[in-house]
Amino acid sequence: MSILANKDTRVVIQGGQAGVNAARRMAEFCYLIKRPLNVEAFVYPPDAGKTNEIPYGSGLIAVPVYATIAEATKHHPTINTSLVYIGADRAMKAGLEALDDPHIHLVSMITEGVPEKDAKLLGAHARKLGKVFNGPSSIGIISAGACRLGVIGGAFDNLVLSKLYREGSFGVITKSGGLSNEIIWICSQFADGITTAIGIGGDAYPGTDYVTYLEMFENDPQTKAVVIVGEMGGDLEERAAEWYGAKKRRIKLIGVVSGFCQESLPKGMKFGHAGAKEGMKGEGSARSKSEALQRAGAIVPPTFGALGPAIKEVYQELLKSGQVKEVVEPASLPKLPKTVEEAMKADEVIVTPLIRTTISDDRGDEPCYDGYPASELINKGYEIPHVIGLLWDKRLISKQEAEIIKRIIMLSADHGPCVSGAYATILAACAGIGLSQAVAAGLIMIGPRFGGAVTDAGRWFKYAVDNKMSVDEFLAYMKKNVGPVPGIGHRVKSLRNPDKRVKELVAYVKSLKINTPCLDFALQVEQVTAAKKDNLILNVDGTMAAVLVDLGFPIDSLNGFFILSRTIGLIGHWVDQKRQDSRLIRLFDYLVNYAAPKRREVPPLK
Amino acid sequence: MAKVLEGPGMGLMKKWGIHVPNYVVVTSAEELAKLGQVNDWLKRSKLVVKAHEAMGSRFKLGLVKVGLDLDGAVSAVKEMVGRQVGSITVSQVIVSEMIPHKEEYYCAVKSVREGNEILVANCGGIEVESNWDRVKRLPVEVGQQPALEALEKVVKEAGFTGPLVKRMADFAGKLFACFDNEDAQYLEVNPVVARESDGELVALDAVTLLDADAKFRHPDWNFQFAAEFGRAYTKNELDIMAIDSKIKGSVKFIEIPGGDTAMLPAGGGASVYYSDAVVARGGKLANYAEYSGDPPDWAVEALTEKVCGLPGIKNIIVGGAIANFTDVKKTFGGIINGFRKAKADGKLKGVKIWVRRGGPREKEGLDAMRALRDEGFDIEVFDRYTPLTDIVDKALAGK
Repeated sequence: MSILANKDTRVVIQGGQAGVNAARRMAEFCYLIKRPLNVEAFVYPPDAGKTNEIPYGSGLIAVPVYATIAEATKHHPTINTSLVYIGADRAMKAGLEALDDPHIHLVSMITEGVPEKDAKLLGAHARKLGKVFNGPSSIGIISAGACRLGVIGGAFDNLVLSKLYREGSFGVITKSGGLSNEIIWICSQFADGITTAIGIGGDAYPGTDYVTYLEMFENDPQTKAVVIVGEMGGDLEERAAEWYGAKKRRIKLIGVVSGFCQESLPKGMKFGHAGAKEGMKGEGSARSKSEALQRAGAIVPPTFGALGPAIKEVYQELLKSGQVKEVVEPASLPKLPKTVEEAMKADEVIVTPLIRTTISDDRGDEPCYDGYPASELINKGYEIPHVIGLLWDKRLISKQEAEIIKRIIMLSADHGPCVSGAYATILAACAGIGLSQAVAAGLIMIGPRFGGAVTDAGRWFKYAVDNKMSVDEFLAYMKKNVGPVPGIGHRVKSLRNPDKRVKELVAYVKSLKINTPCLDFALQVEQVTAAKKDNLILNVDGTMAAVLVDLGFPIDSLNGFFILSRTIGLIGHWVDQKRQDSRLIRLFDYLVNYAAPKRREVPPLK
Repeated sequence: MAKVLEGPGMGLMKKWGIHVPNYVVVTSAEELAKLGQVNDWLKRSKLVVKAHEAMGSRFKLGLVKVGLDLDGAVSAVKEMVGRQVGSITVSQVIVSEMIPHKEEYYCAVKSVREGNEILVANCGGIEVESNWDRVKRLPVEVGQQPALEALEKVVKEAGFTGPLVKRMADFAGKLFACFDNEDAQYLEVNPVVARESDGELVALDAVTLLDADAKFRHPDWNFQFAAEFGRAYTKNELDIMAIDSKIKGSVKFIEIPGGDTAMLPAGGGASVYYSDAVVARGGKLANYAEYSGDPPDWAVEALTEKVCGLPGIKNIIVGGAIANFTDVKKTFGGIINGFRKAKADGKLKGVKIWVRRGGPREKEGLDAMRALRDEGFDIEVFDRYTPLTDIVDKALAGK
């Protein structure tokens, strides 16, 4: 048996993320003791109508979230307990809502920093209704082998180490949340473990005090002894002593109280929990509390360190008198399934990766491009073209190459509003479309007729150079197998009206006296084609392509240079339209050649 | 609990209809002189000048002067402002009018488990301290208000007679209203005096303790809370309080001059048991500290740096129970960073570090602590199988 929390306890949790975290811990305990999850519902108005996914073993349980306690208990009439994880400013309202629901008999409040007035009101309200209000600032309640309310008991490994999967003989009541776990651990090491452990919270006026719980333990035949961990301040320990000394009790009481250090501290200096404040005339001091407990017949070890041996002594007596029997531990216990990460760390599984990358790694404190940390590249004077080199071609390019790439990007960044890409972005911007979609609309235009010939131009010039073709052989091959030569020809530019961008780029690359077989070949091709027709010149795509192939960039990356640089212009056009607050535009009908059939009658549907 | 200085404390009482003397809080003699030109009462009345700081024994220190005229008050303020007492510099002075009176009384409201208690006595000042049995009590249940008849009854029990019964009952009722509405935990007026001019009861001196947790519903609390232990908070303490106020979980730090054992334990409960163990072993605490509620690692790191900076320490106790949900690896990560920084700053020379802890990711956390030995730290690390405070016994074994 146990008190307060048992196998029939069904829980609603009031709160958001903190409540979900607690439910996860509770699910681990339910899994350990092979019981279904004891959390039936959440109440959290912002998430009402949704579900919270709680891992249970290797599966997930969807627990519904409601806006009110009434809805939760209507749909889950077995709920009899509420855990409150609501912020201090709304905690009282939440606590009252739970206490006033007829299904709920126990409310445990985890919230810290609840105003004292509110806490007292909640406690008084519960007593009036004959219910139990535990907390505030309670770490929770746990009954070994039966029920866990809150995070009390800690991590899964600790549940097993502290033998919380089965009942012992010791009850535990503590103000401190951290120490509740410590006492549970001590009871499992020096004795046979616990029945129920309760964190009552370290506030000055906990909703329920030691006496109420001692009375419950006294009436629980499985509990043979109770450990209370007290603190200076208030009179709860004195009241416990008074209760214990009032008449012959079945249970043994073991108590420790903290705060002896106060005696040797500068006067008036106080610390610890909110409730740990000594009264005016030494009342509530650690010493007066310890003495009160001792006088009442409780076992009071002189220090915390002596608590374990004291518990052991009580346990040995209980064994000797036959009140408890040696525990037989279960042969095996469920193991909490590992997460994939944990299993990999323990070398227990092999996972086939979903994707593979060879260029970049984000797992450290900053991204590395082809192994080089971004900040180091910056600090050592590298620039954007070097990052392009690393991410597109996995190599650290030279200063000279970087300069060429920088010029290519600058030359192709924009080409006015009339070209397909910019026009599409402007149209989208005027229709009120957002930046990324409007720029995407412009980028969609990049293809065989607009800006997208760089890759193909590079591919065929390289093919010719690799196969040592003459210009005539190349043009014949292209005519027969491919069609017009990519990178040759321009809509408006011609020999008489040359493209200055091309001239610039060619002049610069030539001035470097580097080996440029592709560019040389492309210029030879231009001489032949332009002689045939005035506008069959080497265009900017073709020039970029030839230069980039000469620099060694992979064919598949070449269109990227145009896409990248033109994105600068497209963003500019979108921002420009936005700045002007441009209106929606549509074509005028006089700009359309309506070549569709004249209006006619629709025949009857057959 | 949060202590409020006299000035703002009297302001709250005035808000709830309690007569208080005229008063001003000033930071310089010039300010008082200027106020004297526009406030008639400063010229008319005899004045009381007190240092407006959280410190005890102001009388003995000469930081209370009574029966002054304005000129006398101005020079008293000049004398007090800037005076250094221990770690406190007097920066504010409260100047109030003296209320001529014959009798002194006592009235207080305190919080108890079942509700609140109203305390009255028909003696005041130091007389009530030595005649505590003359204090009569009226319990008020949680959520209830005291009835006028009940107030008059307890006032009569305390020995008030004639027209004073009604006045004292009224005073106590107002003090309760102030207590209840302002989320106070303790209000004490000693003495309450009957003003000679009109017989009205006036609160001459007030102790005001408010519930700092209720600040969220009192936007008009525009004052700072004063340190409760007879001295102002130090800069290091204020630094940690500033961090504490903005994080999930908590970090706490109080300096105790002259100690040799530094504390860096986890948990509001365990930290006090660790402090007890140090004292029981004859050690001298250099500080109190505590972190809990899974605080961010940077907050624990900042706390660690403060602890390492304490002068004259020989041992640091990094204790803790078996945590429920505080991530041991993460919080220890903060402590380790703090240790490294302190060492790089030339601190921790000859200081031995003692660690004991359990909880989520305890193994990883303890392993990381153990690894500090390879970096030249003098550190001993224990796990859950070593009882909680045994590291203190080991650390102070030589004593």
